Amino acid sequence: MVDPVLSVRNLSIDFKTDDGVLHAVDDVSFDLARGETLGIVGESGSGKTVTSLALLGLLPKTAAVSGDATFDGANLLALDEKRLQPVRGARIAMIFQDALTALNPVRRVGDQIAEAIAVHHDIARAELHDRAVALLDLVGIAQPAARAGEYPHQFSGGMRQRAMIAMAIANEPDVLIADEPTTALDVTIQAQVLDVLERIQVRTDTAIILITHDLGVVAGVADRVLVMYAGREVEIGSVEDIFYRPGHPYTRGLLSSLPRLDGREHGRRLFQIGGQPPSLVFLPTGCAFHPRCPFADDELCAALVPDRQPLGDGHRSACHYAATLDEREARP
Amino acid sequence: MTDTLLPTREPLAGPVGDTAPPARSNWQLFRRRFFRHKLALASIIVLVVLMVACFGAPWLAPYKQGAQNLLEGSQGPSAKHWFGTDDLGRDQLSEIMYAGRISLMIGLVVALLSTIVGVTIGAVAGYFGRFTDHGLSAVTDLFLILPDLALLAVAILYLGQSATSIIVVLALLGWMYMARIIRGQVLALKEKEFVEAARALGASRTRILLRHIVPNCIGTITVNATLAVASAVGVEAALSFLGFGIQPPQNSWGRMLSDAEAYATSWSKFYLILFPGLMLFLTILAVNFLGDALRDAFDPRSTR
Amino acid sequence: MLRYLTRRVLGSIPVLLVASFITFWLVRVAIDPLARYRHQRDSKRVLAEQRVKLGLDHSILQQWWDWLTHFVRGDMGTSTRTGDSVSSMIGHALWPSLQLLFWATIVSVAVAIVLGVYSAVKQYSIGDYFFTGLSYVGIAMPDFWFALLAIALLVTGPTVWFHLDQPIFYSIGLHSEGVSGLNLDYFRHLALPVLTLTFTSVAAWSRFLRAEMLGVLNADYVRTARAKGVPRRQVVSRHAFRNALIPFLTVTALDTAFLVGGVIITEKIFSISGMGQAFLTALQAGDAPFLLSWFLVTAIAVIAFNLLVDVGYVALDPRIRLS
Repeated sequence: MVDPVLSVRNLSIDFKTDDGVLHAVDDVSFDLARGETLGIVGESGSGKTVTSLALLGLLPKTAAVSGDATFDGANLLALDEKRLQPVRGARIAMIFQDALTALNPVRRVGDQIAEAIAVHHDIARAELHDRAVALLDLVGIAQPAARAGEYPHQFSGGMRQRAMIAMAIANEPDVLIADEPTTALDVTIQAQVLDVLERIQVRTDTAIILITHDLGVVAGVADRVLVMYAGREVEIGSVEDIFYRPGHPYTRGLLSSLPRLDGREHGRRLFQIGGQPPSLVFLPTGCAFHPRCPFADDELCAALVPDRQPLGDGHRSACHYAATLDEREARP
Repeated sequence: MTDTLLPTREPLAGPVGDTAPPARSNWQLFRRRFFRHKLALASIIVLVVLMVACFGAPWLAPYKQGAQNLLEGSQGPSAKHWFGTDDLGRDQLSEIMYAGRISLMIGLVVALLSTIVGVTIGAVAGYFGRFTDHGLSAVTDLFLILPDLALLAVAILYLGQSATSIIVVLALLGWMYMARIIRGQVLALKEKEFVEAARALGASRTRILLRHIVPNCIGTITVNATLAVASAVGVEAALSFLGFGIQPPQNSWGRMLSDAEAYATSWSKFYLILFPGLMLFLTILAVNFLGDALRDAFDPRSTR
Repeated sequence: MLRYLTRRVLGSIPVLLVASFITFWLVRVAIDPLARYRHQRDSKRVLAEQRVKLGLDHSILQQWWDWLTHFVRGDMGTSTRTGDSVSSMIGHALWPSLQLLFWATIVSVAVAIVLGVYSAVKQYSIGDYFFTGLSYVGIAMPDFWFALLAIALLVTGPTVWFHLDQPIFYSIGLHSEGVSGLNLDYFRHLALPVLTLTFTSVAAWSRFLRAEMLGVLNADYVRTARAKGVPRRQVVSRHAFRNALIPFLTVTALDTAFLVGGVIITEKIFSISGMGQAFLTALQAGDAPFLLSWFLVTAIAVIAFNLLVDVGYVALDPRIRLS
């Protein structure tokens, strides 16, 4: 990739718990190109959110972070609070999942958006207010001037999410991290919110990291996709690669479990990947997915953590048998 | 390309690789969390010592209660009298032990009574709601604006200053706190799915209350009953200090401090103030530590 | 806002009425108003006379109502102990107590806020452990013991150890003989009583605020603020603290009635002639008329203070304002 705006290498995040060390993220790497949308996909507990929190230094002190996250020539993971602060909200911004709890309940929405700007720029109050109203308008909120004076609990769910987006793009960041922005919303509202994100991106050429467990959302919006499982990077590639040429058994499993409306599998039971995700404290040896994988064998998969196997331009998979999956016999 | 991307398959039996997380029962988890609190463990020891010494005063005290010895009056702590003597020559260590009997007994009985009454009323109010609930709120709100100590003093004047009347009066005021808390918990539990499930299975309301909801409150009940002991000991001491509590010939730590008040301006008698108060302080402190440890052991999610 | 206030005031009237009736009944039952006539020579006749005179032949409800209607018009009767008008006695007694409460509240709230916020922001630091330990001690220590220790260690002790002519702090009353006004003498008198009143409150409130702050600091919206790039200090003051203040106010208001008990004890130990001391004297003397008015005045004061806090509450939390 030519000159990515963000480059993450070997990111690992551990937490100390009573039962031992919890490996929330283990050796994850990816690049983010300017203006592109990277979807990070995985189940709950796969480490998606923790990864993004690490980039902005928002993890609790009990987290041990290692690796590299190069942004604008500096390693974000090594920056102290003081040098991270100008980055947060200005160069890299984040949208959180539950907009109701993510917004301060006792402050007006307009003020909170204005604060996002005020913290980074020295601007007069009146103009801050105008900008906040303009941003609300930009994200498609009707009567933005009136709404700016209201409190979060007076907004609907979709409106709150849009307000969060407004807050995040206030300073036209280079990277926008959206953590499950649509999970708490109805499907129709989902579509609207994603639409807003897309429009913003076109306007300001912002790169977006979209974290979700919903493959449908990813298919519609992402350029590239990173699949995570048990804190590890499982597969990464363009959205076409992932959907049409999945190179990892887990990805294939995810895709198979998407219910289809086109009659192709009419009459068949819904597919599910058997088993449960592993404990992040007591991870299996070798490949984390092998206990549930129909293609796994004991010699390689149970013993050795797979290297990333290249499958094409910008497409790689962490599976010992990535290149030969189609020919491989499934175990009974 | 196969028809489905991933053939179905049974997962390998059991987690492969490293050991699975060890299964732990509720009791084991509780014990583990509780024993992490070193201070609580120390507190248990302190409380046991106090209770043995005080309830065992008739057998353990070096001198008899109220035994005067004017020749040895007004002495500071010494080998013969560990806590010194007052101006009538009464050994303070023995006095403290006998007084502790009363103070601790009142504390424990009041806590027990308040708990029983409070849990009953609170559970009924929270679960059956409406009339009982409004009644409970009205009563508790009422006593929120009236000063406790003053009311207690008047009530004891009416009932007479005996340990029994003190217990009755303290319990009458104490149940409200517990009732409020239990009511809140029951209200929250009432909405949970397992209650709905029990009702769907045909359980009567009383049965649900007794067999499902109250057992889930055990943690709250235990913690607050423990803390109630500390509170009761403190209030009795305050009442006795003001002169409205225990009367001679009975003694309590609060009363001893009341007698000692006159000596605050005389440095040589400092020990008369120090020791009875110290007993009160240690008791309340130990009980508080214990209560906190219990709270954490029952539900670690509450903030430290 | 005004509507909310009037609603609250009107809502507290029934509570006051019931409270005053309960205390009326309690005092009437505990103190026999005919006690002094029972041992007179022709007691039977005198008793019958006095019964009518004092309105004791009416129902207790009627008696209470009579008393209440007089009270509302400012007629609180005369003390059976001194013969003075109860209203003037209460008037004199209120002033010292109000002073104590005023200083105690300001100091308690200020110190509790400082300690609570510090402990939360610097969680697990040495300072945090130290203050947490101190607050445990504060909560466990009976206030009268604290006062006696304070006198012994800060007044009696130093005078003896350092051979002083005059103690550093005074332990009797609010002013020295013949001195008045807001001066050093006043504060030397105030120091220990205010300290006694505040230390339990500070211990409890700072712990509470610390817990609230910790909860708030972990809240999602604080994470959002940090993600926006709001500097640490502003996150604490503008987001965390303001939100933690709301439940903090509730707790401080709830403790008001409890504070009255503290006032009684403090005034007794430090010989301050306020409402607390007056209560004790009246109770010991069986001065029913005084006690009745004392209770109602105290209840009114507590409610008034709670209303004040409610105003602050509404001002701080828009969710209440707009509902």
